[in-house]
Amino acid sequence: MEDQVEEIELKPVTVRRTFTLRNNVARQVAVNFMPSRQIPYGTLRLRRSNSDSEALLAGGADSERQADIIVREMEQLQRLMEDNPVSEELRREALRDLPQGLTMKRTVRAKLSASVSLRSKHRPISFYKRLKYRISFAMKKGRDRISELIFSIEPWHEAIRHVEGQFGSAVGSYFHFLRWLFAINLLLAMLLVCFVVVPQVLHDQENNNKTGSMGFLDFVSGKGGFEDSVLFYGHYHWGDVSALGPLTYNMPFAYFFTMFSLYFFFFAILCYRTAYSYRRNFIEIAGGLSNVFATKVFCGWDFGIVSQHAASLNASSIYNEFKELLSEQNKKHVTMSLCRRVCQYMVNVAVTLCVLALVAALQYGLWQLLALDTQLQHWEIFVSLIITFVIALCPLLFNLIVRVEYYKARTALYVTLARTGLLDISTLTLLLVYWSQSGTPCWESAVGRETYRLVLLDSLVSLFLLPLVEFARGFIFKMSSSSSSTGPEFNLSYNSLTLVYNQGVVWVGAAWCPLLPAALALKFLLLFYVKRECALRACQPARKVWRAAQTQTVLYMLVTLSLFVTLFAIGSLFLRGSSEWCGPFMKYSAVWGVVSEGVLRLPDRPVLHALLAFLTRPGVIAFLFLSLCVATYLMRARARAQRSMVGILRRMLVLQAKDKDFLLAAIDKVSNGEWLYNPREEDQSADSHTLKYLQEVRKPSNAAYHFDVTRLNHSEPRPHRAETRPHRPHSHHVATRRTSEDGDTDSSFSWQGSATCLNNTNDDKLE
Amino acid sequence: MGQGKSQFSEEELQDYEDLTYFTKKEVLYAHQKFKALAPEKVGHNKNAKLPMAKILQYPELRVNPFRDRICKVFSSSNDGDCTFEDFLDMMSVFSETAPKAVKAEHAFRIFDFDGDDMIGVSDLREVIKRLCGPEHKLSDSEIQQLVQNVLEEADLDDDGALSFAEFEHIIDKSSDFCHSFRIRL
Repeated sequence: MEDQVEEIELKPVTVRRTFTLRNNVARQVAVNFMPSRQIPYGTLRLRRSNSDSEALLAGGADSERQADIIVREMEQLQRLMEDNPVSEELRREALRDLPQGLTMKRTVRAKLSASVSLRSKHRPISFYKRLKYRISFAMKKGRDRISELIFSIEPWHEAIRHVEGQFGSAVGSYFHFLRWLFAINLLLAMLLVCFVVVPQVLHDQENNNKTGSMGFLDFVSGKGGFEDSVLFYGHYHWGDVSALGPLTYNMPFAYFFTMFSLYFFFFAILCYRTAYSYRRNFIEIAGGLSNVFATKVFCGWDFGIVSQHAASLNASSIYNEFKELLSEQNKKHVTMSLCRRVCQYMVNVAVTLCVLALVAALQYGLWQLLALDTQLQHWEIFVSLIITFVIALCPLLFNLIVRVEYYKARTALYVTLARTGLLDISTLTLLLVYWSQSGTPCWESAVGRETYRLVLLDSLVSLFLLPLVEFARGFIFKMSSSSSSTGPEFNLSYNSLTLVYNQGVVWVGAAWCPLLPAALALKFLLLFYVKRECALRACQPARKVWRAAQTQTVLYMLVTLSLFVTLFAIGSLFLRGSSEWCGPFMKYSAVWGVVSEGVLRLPDRPVLHALLAFLTRPGVIAFLFLSLCVATYLMRARARAQRSMVGILRRMLVLQAKDKDFLLAAIDKVSNGEWLYNPREEDQSADSHTLKYLQEVRKPSNAAYHFDVTRLNHSEPRPHRAETRPHRPHSHHVATRRTSEDGDTDSSFSWQGSATCLNNTNDDKLE
Repeated sequence: MGQGKSQFSEEELQDYEDLTYFTKKEVLYAHQKFKALAPEKVGHNKNAKLPMAKILQYPELRVNPFRDRICKVFSSSNDGDCTFEDFLDMMSVFSETAPKAVKAEHAFRIFDFDGDDMIGVSDLREVIKRLCGPEHKLSDSEIQQLVQNVLEEADLDDDGALSFAEFEHIIDKSSDFCHSFRIRL
């Protein structure tokens, strides 16, 4: 012990703890034998149980025994061992989750099923149960089929994998996002075409509508011959459509309910997906953000990387991050003066206000531009072009602005995302509001045309202009590759924001331009290939590791938010009224009338009418809203309580570990014949319990105690005592110095040789 | 995939589907990839044992700093040589559908170089060294400081090494683990 203390003093503070006795291998073995380490894990992952891990370490020869251990543990769980499909499924999952190889799993399964059939009582099962089992079996089969189908039709599997191998999983996640949006739009488009467009086309064929001019500019602006086509709301028939024999198809119903169910269906999907992602990436890891070093070490490597170049870049980026973290830690923490902090805060607020003002000014300008009364033909193309460019350029501007402010890198990214999201959503809402207020006949078609133009013109930017810029950049980089080492990287946040914007336009436009999702799906299809080529040919892998998971969540949130705002706007418009000049709802006073008059026939049913009127009264809504608030508050309070409980448990864990350590050390010492407690010097002045205990109860005059001590004393070899004696004051000094330095409760116990202690406390009596 | 189908019976595929996170099609796909590593050997015997050097030809493993550890952990003979079943096991753990806990379990074994069931100081040093690659070398004191920091964050019971529970705790609180600990089939 003496030597160790000496050694500790020589080492720098940080290294000290590895040299304490705690690291002792024998100690670790003892700890492993403690009951808490022997209990198998709560789940079926039994490796940690001591005997099992021994068997595992022993390797293949012992596999029989290992399997037996696992089976035995599994047999303890009643739920798993029943003889019915439900527990069979559970067994299957448990087997799957075993961290062992396939051979082992197979052995375990054989043993388990033997044990199950041994236990099962062969009773005839009831018809109801049989039915239930049959259904669950069929459902499982169906699920497997579906996942198989998804795997075989999954598009771009190899393509995304290739990109991921070159650029890491962050860029890969952009392509996954793109693919997911593509799938959503494709589904949306298919349903809309089936239920809305095709019946209308059939109807048109019977009636042989005339068509206007269809030039290129008409195609871009959506006017001329395109104005009165299946592209836009205005064209849709207001009554029954009959194409096939006597069957009729009520167009307003079809239009309304298709839109309604699709919007809510996708809203539900998005909400689910966002909430899931949020829970996984924000809530479940709450409190984990402080584990900077551990996460870097254990989750730093991207296992999906394939190319040598990307691998070495990843290694160097990890290296740089380590360096940065260390230098940040070594830097003396300069306590920022309050004044300085306030200044920074003020700058942030001021810049944010400026950005808000900019957004407001842009909206105002846009409104003026829309309201400008010009006789120019195709003026609207010009307006849409301006909107497209503003939306394409502003994220870049925000990206520059945020550098003026004092945010951390991650916060800065979120701030930029939020500002861009605000700009996109407010622009789209403004368009909607402008056209609904404008009083133009058939304003719904006008909104449809507007969004149609935006999608079309944006593809000009994102399919041609941006790739051109990127290729040019990549080309310049290649020409001068020797001079600068940082190549152009794939701009993830900007590219993802473009996707979010496009999706937002479709949410607004789909209600009045049913073919818009189809157009966007087509565009995303092209975009995938364009972006892939861009990434592979003109971009270099990123030098900084981009933490994709949380950013992805924010992007999902933006998409969901834009749909939410759109739903809100469209809902309020639907309740208010409808165009009397065009569209499927011409005959109704408001679009909502399809439900109230068409389906429910409210005017004929006064009771239902009154009930609905009551339910939609502000009082009732306010009540619902309030109860929602209360529920949220309750949940939040519970979450907080649990969080603080986690903190307490964590502290308790640490304390218990220390207790354990203390006891082990005590046992260690006792078995070596050195066992006395030597209180710290500070403690002698304080009225600590231990000290009182020592002084009052265990008085040296206590016979047993005395006897014990002397016995021990005699058993000790004499020279040892003589040797330790001169060292004593020094070691004591060292021990106190050490405790005052790190304040570790553990180190307050300094174990001396018994002889030394005796000398210290009761010198006179013994001699 | 027609070729692969001839090598497996329906029961075998069902068996693999039950025991891994893959569907039958994916199992066949994995077998194709396995076969590509050593066509003639696997052509004769679908479950042939390939030496570690061959397994390391797999693109994702080739550049992975922990490649030998991965092979050793998944190898049923513990020497790094893998049969198809071992390979399938590996891919199943690295697949997207495998739960975090299973991934954490295997990650723990991969990082536990000396096999003492704890990630100790020497293991952590090795992990950090490998992460930084052959080109960059952190100095000894820097590595020591990093290890110290990791232990301070993760070592809850203060015994100078990470037990599995502590390791899993870290993994649970990390949003990026599932993203990074993944090899697409």
